[in-house]
Amino acid sequence: MFEKSDEQLIAKALQGNKQAWVNLLKRYEKSIYNYGIRMTGKNEDALDLMQEVFISVYRNLATYRHEGSFKSWLFRIAHFRCIEFYRRKRPMEGLDDVPEIESEQIPNEQYIDSVKENKQLIQAMQRLPLAQKTVIELKFFGQFTFDEIAELTGMSANTAKSRMYGALEKLKTLMEVDYA
Amino acid sequence: MPDVTNEQLLALWLDGRLNAQQRLMFEQRCVDDEVFAQQVEAANNITVHAQHFIEQDVPHWDRAASFTEVKNTPWWHWQGLSGLSIAMSVAAMLMVVTGLQIKVDDGALTISFADNQSQLQIERLVEDKLQEYKTEQQLAMNRFTQSLQQQQLDASSQLTQYLLTSSRKERREDFAELIKFVNEQRSDDQLFYARQLNQLQQDIYTNPAQSGLNSNKE
Repeated sequence: MFEKSDEQLIAKALQGNKQAWVNLLKRYEKSIYNYGIRMTGKNEDALDLMQEVFISVYRNLATYRHEGSFKSWLFRIAHFRCIEFYRRKRPMEGLDDVPEIESEQIPNEQYIDSVKENKQLIQAMQRLPLAQKTVIELKFFGQFTFDEIAELTGMSANTAKSRMYGALEKLKTLMEVDYA
Repeated sequence: MPDVTNEQLLALWLDGRLNAQQRLMFEQRCVDDEVFAQQVEAANNITVHAQHFIEQDVPHWDRAASFTEVKNTPWWHWQGLSGLSIAMSVAAMLMVVTGLQIKVDDGALTISFADNQSQLQIERLVEDKLQEYKTEQQLAMNRFTQSLQQQQLDASSQLTQYLLTSSRKERREDFAELIKFVNEQRSDDQLFYARQLNQLQQDIYTNPAQSGLNSNKE
């Protein structure tokens, strides 16, 4: 049996078909959940963020114009939800500020139920400013081009490249420390 | 060859959009620039981590809770309707206040705002109406005169006809009367002469001598 396209599921969901909406959720929930894990460093926060993202997606589904892929639109909403999530959690911290992580806040096995490699990368990403972390996430995990990242986040492509370059420098150091 | 910064070169490499020239430049810079080479290595390292990242399963959550029944709102519940109503009201008030007048005449659109225009229009309208009334009156008068003339002509013609007809009939009656009188007179004469002849005949039979005399006398 042929799998329905995102557009078909969206159209059915907009007509009030709950099953179509659930099928659309199942198609993308894992990506968004793991996006949340990498961006927040915590499974519970990732679950909250994922739910917020999908509620927001559903509310704005009627405004989806089919310009670009649904995945891009979904990650655009996820990005803005993530910023709001950070502002709630850390109201005094800017997007380019290096997060202040106290020893007890560093994600560990208690928070991240994952394998060692996952844990090491996630821990390193938590030490990056949100703006740099976003670019790393979208580039390496989302497989978006810099132009797409610029469109998703609202920053210029040159800014995205610059942030990625800075983030790589920091990650290299952080991961060397972790390996050591 | 235009100078490409390390950031741009790395970005092009990560996007997989290096052309042959840029690829050569990329490889050269990896050899010459140690910092750049370390960045490339870090990017490679992250790429490998990302590829081997084991995605975690989503814990159970109430997916259907994010779905709310879509109700097809009727068009008269459209949210913009109140705004549209206000806008239309404001537009209507502005038209009234400014005395806006839009006139379409023979495909030409005229928009006027001043009351003078209205006064002029009224005067022109009254003038037109008066002219129209005058013309109508003139026409009616002409029609009435013509009708009156025709009526008079008809009446005199009828009168003449009547007079001619009646006089002819009277004459005919008079002649008939005269002929009747003449005929009666003739009939009386005939009777008289017949009676005279009878008398004479009787006289002759009764007294032939006298009758001869009488007849001679006669």
